[in-house]
Amino acid sequence: MKIIKEIKISDNGFVFNSNTGDSFSLNSTGLELIQLISQEKEIEEIKEVFTTRFDLDELTFEKDFYEFCSLLKLHGIIARESTSEFN
Amino acid sequence: MKKQEITLAVSGLNNTDNPGPGVPFIRGLKESEEFDVRVIGLVYENLEPGIYMEDLCSRIFQVPYPSSGSDDLIERIEDIHRQENIDVLVPNFDAELYSFMKNEERLLKQGIHTFLPTFQQFQEREKHRLPEFGKKYGIKVPASLNLGSLGQITELEDKFDYPVMVKGQFYDAYLATNKEQVKQAFMNISAKWGFPVIAQEFVSGTEVNVVALGDGQGNTVAAVPMRKQYTTDKGKAWGGITLADEKMMHLTRSLIKQTHWRGGMELELIKTQTGEYYLIEINPRIPAWVYLAVGAGQNIPEALVKLALGMEVKPMHTYKIGKMFVRYSYDMIVDLEKFAAISMNKEI
Repeated sequence: MKIIKEIKISDNGFVFNSNTGDSFSLNSTGLELIQLISQEKEIEEIKEVFTTRFDLDELTFEKDFYEFCSLLKLHGIIARESTSEFN
Repeated sequence: MKKQEITLAVSGLNNTDNPGPGVPFIRGLKESEEFDVRVIGLVYENLEPGIYMEDLCSRIFQVPYPSSGSDDLIERIEDIHRQENIDVLVPNFDAELYSFMKNEERLLKQGIHTFLPTFQQFQEREKHRLPEFGKKYGIKVPASLNLGSLGQITELEDKFDYPVMVKGQFYDAYLATNKEQVKQAFMNISAKWGFPVIAQEFVSGTEVNVVALGDGQGNTVAAVPMRKQYTTDKGKAWGGITLADEKMMHLTRSLIKQTHWRGGMELELIKTQTGEYYLIEINPRIPAWVYLAVGAGQNIPEALVKLALGMEVKPMHTYKIGKMFVRYSYDMIVDLEKFAAISMNKEI
C-alpha cells in the first residue's frame, strides 16, 4: 500500500493532494497512521504500535485500520490498484 | 540591467465579481525585471474599477464597444496612439479580439504590436464548433447540439439525458434539468448573445483549468494548471490552487503543438471520477486568474509582451505547486472629478 507521490502531509495533520487540489484534516491518530503508512510499514508493525500504546484489541484495530484505508483510497490518497487487500 | 521602457495599452480593467484580466495582467508586467511599463488603460464603462486604482495606469481612455463597428474601435486606438505612442496592445475580451485580429497588420504598420491567435485558431475553438475541434485534435469533448430554435429541444431530448448545459456562443451558461429550463435558458441567452445557443452534454466531475501561452510555432512557452477552490454564483474563480497534473500539461502541450496556438489561452476542462479529461471550452485570451501563474513562477504577461515585440522567450517548464490565490473585494474612495473626467472627456 503506497501513498501517491503527489500527497503532501504536514506535521499538523493537513493533507494536500497536489494532483487534484483536494485537502483533508486529520486528527493526531489519523496523522500517525498515515505517517506510518507513508513509511511503508506493514500492517503488523502498525498494529503493534497501536495495540501497545492504546487499550485496543487486534480486531478493533484492524476494523478501524481498513476503514481508514478505504477512505484514503476513496479520496485517491493511496493508489487504487495497490489496495485490493481491503476491497 | 537597465529595464526597457515600453508603453502598454490594456483592456479588461473591470475587476468586478466577473473580472477581466486587465488588472492582473498589468500587475504581472509591473513585476517584470525586463520592462519598465507605462500603462494605458482602455475601458468601455466609466465605472471599471481599474480606472480608479492608484498607480495602475498612467492614462485612461474610453473606447467604443466592438459592436459599434471595428472601424470606430480601431480609429479610436489610432487616435490614442498618436497621443501616447503605444508599443504593445493587449486586448482582454473575447468580443474585441475579432476587431484586433482583423486589424493586426494595420496596427503593426503604425508600431502597435499585438500577439493574437490567427482567425483559424480563433474560429475553430468556438463553442459551437467544439465537437469538430475535439475530433480533429484527438481531445474528448462533451457532445453538443447547436440550437437555432425552440423546436430543436425535441432533438436535444433524443440525443441527451438531463441535465444539459445551455451556453451562449460568447458567454453565459446555465445548467438545465428539464425542458422548461432549457427553454428559459435558450430565451435568455439568445436575447443577449444571439445564435446559435449551444446545448452541451453535462459531464460530471471536477472543473480544472490551464492558463497557457503558445508562441505560434507549436511551442508551449508557459502553462500552469489550476483548480477553482471557491466560485462566485457566475462560476468565476474566487480562489484557486496550482496543481501537479502531468496529464493536463501533456494535453495542453499537445494542443498547442498541433494548433500552433499563438497568444494566451485558457483551457477549461472537466476531470471525471475515472480520471478522464473533457475539454469544455477554450478561451482565446489570458484569464483573470493569470496572476496565480505569476505568483507560481511563470510571468505570462511579461512573456506575452516579449513575444509581441519579437523578442526571444525561453519556455518555462516549472512552477510552484500548491500556490493559491484568494480574491477579495475592496471599497476604494474616489473623488468625483475622476468619474466626471472619464464620463465627459472619455479620458483621464
